[in-house]
Amino acid sequence: MLQLLLIGACYTLGLAVAGIAFGTVLGLLLTPLSFVRCRPLRALYHVYVFFTRGTPLLVLALLIFYGLPALNFSQGPYVAGTIVLTIYSSAFFAEVFRGGVLAIQRTHLESGRSLGLPPLAFLRRIIAPLALRYALPPYVNVCVMMVKASSILSIISVWELTLAAREIIERTLLVFTVLGIAAAFYFLMCFGVDRLGRLAERYLMRRGFVGEHA
Amino acid sequence: MISIEGLHKRFPSGLEVLRGINLTIGDGEVVSLIGRSGSGKTTLLRCINFLEEYDAGEIRLDGAVLWYRTGVGGVRTRMPGPAIRALRQQMGIVFQQFNLFPHMTAMENVCLGPTFAHKRPAAEVKDLAQRLLERVGLGAKMRSYPYQLSGGEQQRVAIARALAMRPKVMLFDEITSALDPELVGEVLEVIRSLVLERMMMVIVTHELRFAREISHRIAFLSKGQITEIGPPAELLDNPQDPALKEFLRHVR
Repeated sequence: MLQLLLIGACYTLGLAVAGIAFGTVLGLLLTPLSFVRCRPLRALYHVYVFFTRGTPLLVLALLIFYGLPALNFSQGPYVAGTIVLTIYSSAFFAEVFRGGVLAIQRTHLESGRSLGLPPLAFLRRIIAPLALRYALPPYVNVCVMMVKASSILSIISVWELTLAAREIIERTLLVFTVLGIAAAFYFLMCFGVDRLGRLAERYLMRRGFVGEHA
Repeated sequence: MISIEGLHKRFPSGLEVLRGINLTIGDGEVVSLIGRSGSGKTTLLRCINFLEEYDAGEIRLDGAVLWYRTGVGGVRTRMPGPAIRALRQQMGIVFQQFNLFPHMTAMENVCLGPTFAHKRPAAEVKDLAQRLLERVGLGAKMRSYPYQLSGGEQQRVAIARALAMRPKVMLFDEITSALDPELVGEVLEVIRSLVLERMMMVIVTHELRFAREISHRIAFLSKGQITEIGPPAELLDNPQDPALKEFLRHVR
């Protein structure tokens, strides 16, 4: 039983990591849209974020699970599950990164402009590192959320920790024991994500990124 | 030489912050801008290197018109980005605070401009940065991050970073206002050394004693206009404009 739950936890972790990784990439691609001069693109960004964030994860999961085959793209529950997590997290990540950019001190931007840095160097050397630093705590926050959100995927027959727990309960009726162990696994995974975030923060602090704007 | 003619600027709120500024700054000249807060002195300084847009008027550097182009039919448009960047590289600006990039050491801050804007070879840039940091008295702190430096040291690095671009003019916006009193001296010392090198400078300041010491001319701004301008002794000891008299009474 414990072994089965452990395997389930590994699946959960795999799904969460995949969702976070793809979601981060998609989020990073989306964030710049919110800052471009072109109004329709900015509107597109906000509409995407609005709808993705405003849809319950369960609804999004069902929509994609049943929607993909309708589009003649059915690759099984795991692909569908990863797509769900990617889309869902991308909206949150994009907003987190946007917040990071907005947190940059005006004088830091003006210093960069007054040095006459070319746009790419400006983005790579100043905006990206500062924005990502400011975005780190809320980023970790969303990551923790995603680990737990993956449990929703059990509804669309993605076998992971929650679905494993439900199967075992159906056979053994040990409701509280099994759910307790599953909860403990979720806790451990979230705790790990949180620790990783702290480590990253401490590393960056040595590289000059202090908590406050100094 | 910088010449400013008929500069007007209105904030989006409708406030007319600059109402026809005329000012010429010669090569090697140091001009201080003084005035009450809200008089437009900082805005004027920021217009010079186009951190602020302005609505009418002209700024020239060595005769060439900056920032805007007037096309056929008198349509005024911003210059394209690369042209603006090239012009900005000829001016250094130091702000009141938060000048340095927190994720870069003093050395990296100074190297940034020459490396990416001038695209000069790394060894040469490093050499230049080292000399500049030694010059502002921070040869021993080249590897320090901004948070490890005092406010005065940060401002000196900021000056070195601006100098690394070999600017034709240096713009200072109240650069000692956020410093503890005991740190002001070391920053002003660096500016003094620039005066000796005949660097063209425009300085927004509240330190009247310092302005008197280093400026060739002081301009007093009131409600978006330069109401009096002249050599420090004349302007500070024998003010004519009633607003200036009032200002000096309050400052002393």
